[in-house]
Amino acid sequence: MKIKVSQEKLSKALNNVSRIAVGKVTLPILNNVLIRVDKKKVSLITTNLDLAIIDYLPVSSSEDGVITVPAKLLAEFINNLPKGESIEFSTKDTKLTISAGKYSSIINGALADDFPEIPEINEKNAIIYKITTDEFKNSLNQVLIASSNDLTRPALTGVFFNTNDNTLAIAATDGYRLAEKKLIDKVESEVKAIVPSSSLQEVLRSISDDAEEIEIAFNDDLVRFRFGEVEIISKLIDASFPDYQKLIPKDNNISVKLNREELTRITKLAALFSRSVGGSIVCETKSPDKFSVKSIANEFGENDSELEANIDKEGKINLNSRFLLDALNALEEKEIIFSFSDRIAPILLKNKKDPKYTHIIMPLNS
Amino acid sequence: MFDVWKNVLAEIEQQISPANYSTWFAETSLLSTEDGEIKIGVKNSFHIKQLKTRYLDMITTALKNNNVPIKNISFEIKSLSKPKTRSREVFISNEVLKNRLKKIQKTNKESSAVQQTGLNNKYTLANFVVGSNNDLAVSAAKSIIDAPGTRFNPFFLYGGPGLGKTHLVQAIGNELIARNPDFKILYTPIADFYSDFIDAVRNGKGKEFNRKFRKLDCLIIDDFQFIMNKEQSQEEFFNIFNDLYQLNKQIIVTSDRLPNQIKSVDERLASRLTWAGAFDLQLPKFEDKCAILRTKAELMGYEIEPEAIEYIAENVNTNIRDLESEFSTIIFTSEVRGLTPLELINKGSVNINRPSKLRPASSKQIVEKVAKYYNLSVKEMCSKSRVANIKTARQVAMFILSKELSLSTNKIAAEVGVQDHTTVMHGIKKIENDLKLNFSLRDQIEEIKEKIYG
Repeated sequence: MKIKVSQEKLSKALNNVSRIAVGKVTLPILNNVLIRVDKKKVSLITTNLDLAIIDYLPVSSSEDGVITVPAKLLAEFINNLPKGESIEFSTKDTKLTISAGKYSSIINGALADDFPEIPEINEKNAIIYKITTDEFKNSLNQVLIASSNDLTRPALTGVFFNTNDNTLAIAATDGYRLAEKKLIDKVESEVKAIVPSSSLQEVLRSISDDAEEIEIAFNDDLVRFRFGEVEIISKLIDASFPDYQKLIPKDNNISVKLNREELTRITKLAALFSRSVGGSIVCETKSPDKFSVKSIANEFGENDSELEANIDKEGKINLNSRFLLDALNALEEKEIIFSFSDRIAPILLKNKKDPKYTHIIMPLNS
Repeated sequence: MFDVWKNVLAEIEQQISPANYSTWFAETSLLSTEDGEIKIGVKNSFHIKQLKTRYLDMITTALKNNNVPIKNISFEIKSLSKPKTRSREVFISNEVLKNRLKKIQKTNKESSAVQQTGLNNKYTLANFVVGSNNDLAVSAAKSIIDAPGTRFNPFFLYGGPGLGKTHLVQAIGNELIARNPDFKILYTPIADFYSDFIDAVRNGKGKEFNRKFRKLDCLIIDDFQFIMNKEQSQEEFFNIFNDLYQLNKQIIVTSDRLPNQIKSVDERLASRLTWAGAFDLQLPKFEDKCAILRTKAELMGYEIEPEAIEYIAENVNTNIRDLESEFSTIIFTSEVRGLTPLELINKGSVNINRPSKLRPASSKQIVEKVAKYYNLSVKEMCSKSRVANIKTARQVAMFILSKELSLSTNKIAAEVGVQDHTTVMHGIKKIENDLKLNFSLRDQIEEIKEKIYG
């Protein structure tokens, strides 16, 4: 095998793929990156058996072949070479020789035969969606905050990709709050799949600024994200996601329009005094024009701040300040709609104009 | 049908590396074999791909060898590692609950006996695991139980903390009572003996104190090393000891070191304590540790995989108490998380403190630290000097290099500046032998290790 490639490109690709090549003691070969040249196409592959990252490397010249070497070692070696250097790889048995100007080294690798096979998406029956990377990144960040890391409830440790009324939406919940974002309107094919949050975090980390569009392909039990030179293939979570549409309240009878920044500020103030009670705060609407956020009095003291608002109906509700702050952070517009009910029902938060993002929080018992 | 899969797996296990086997096959199951349509359950799509492309032939052959008719083999995602209902407490039936309550009440009643003899009946010989580390002491203990006050009198038992001294001597006491209900036994840590004595003297009841002890058929003194610097109680103890000994009453003493290594213990007393020999409890070897854990698991009714036991045994190198506490922690975590202990270990969620493997120091660092500890320069220590303290320091350095870095004797010879690897072998052997009896050396080496890793 032979490759000739620039330091920058190689370094970027290696840094991207080597992230997941760590720490599997059970199968040491997973610490390695597979470098394969097949008909002038160079791919760098790593996997942790939950997902695989494949980076297609643009090279100036190459000869077919395949090898695996320790990913972290190779990445760090290449990182430390001067920028602009042209790097040449060549292999002999399981040894990889790297030469770049005055620098050269030999890394002991392993046979590619031991490296796991990476499952592939069957293009024929795959369901494919396309979306701009900016929008996808933004939407993922808005939803991932609500996902859980409680391994005893596997369905909640992922993001649910689902179609409803020809709209593709993503949703996540940890049982206390739920976030949903409508991604694409008027889709033709249907999907219901839970993608592990950890895999999506890797997608977020791998997306570079120069990729404009991301392609998401679902198969029976796999998902593939393709953007720029990178492909990420992940398993899906084999569980059923709660029927969350039922949870989104339709008839909250108290609804207030609030300035997002000001609400964030007074929530933070109240949160300072609510640490010892698990972040619990009280939101209250007072006729004719006040919305107040206060902490429950405790040993540190108490706090009560108010905002100007148009109030139709009086009411109050207890909730976790951290969840409210997360939601406010995920909302984008200057003005938001905060609605709740005087009966036991979740709190609903939305942007004032754009209806695509929905965030709900379960109230605490008062 | 599902036992067939075990055979198939066993066959495959022979053919591939353990790493590959545990990664790809450990979580598989045979879902159905109907009409030759073989369905195999696997963890996720990565496993399907790997099994299909790399191991299909192996699986087919193994199935055929087990006389399973095959038309087609397919894979299905079916994770075996889903949380099992291991939290058995939730599903306890009333019957079981009643039985448990009975047990608890029963032990409550029995433990009232503790007040008189100071013995705790949870310590028995039956739950004391015998291994090469303690078999001598145990056989002596048995002969005491058969004939107290004869051959092994006094019975002096010593060893580091957490190796089972208290357990063994209390077990002797409990067995003696079980066989001779009228036997008068007293178990007391030396510290309690001391404070009781002071109280008695203060209240003018010194004579009663004396009489109480002299009526005993068996006296068990625990943690004798704490007698240090308490000369008056030592004198009293010595008198009681002599009287009981004259009457052929059994005396049992435990300590963490030999009497002549305890500062300020009267020489007469020291020599008398070891009259009938001194028995030591040593650190358990790997096999002993496994046996201890297995017994514990059995007694407490836990399920734990042999691999998990081996993992714990391999990684806890301090003493039995730590071994048991590590075991309990793992069992507890596994119940809380709903994973088996082995799954927990494989997930890396188990952190056993093992300073000696945390940060391997370089051989140079070790040599420097040892020299510094003994207030020598590296040059002095690695010279040919035969002055006693320099020689010992050199041998300690050899010992630590060999134990911590597993260097060859030739390499060690080069590190500490001796000519010959046989000198190194002798040095290591010497320290190993000394360690058995010399507790200050043991402490010194522990301190040096702390410095090396600290």
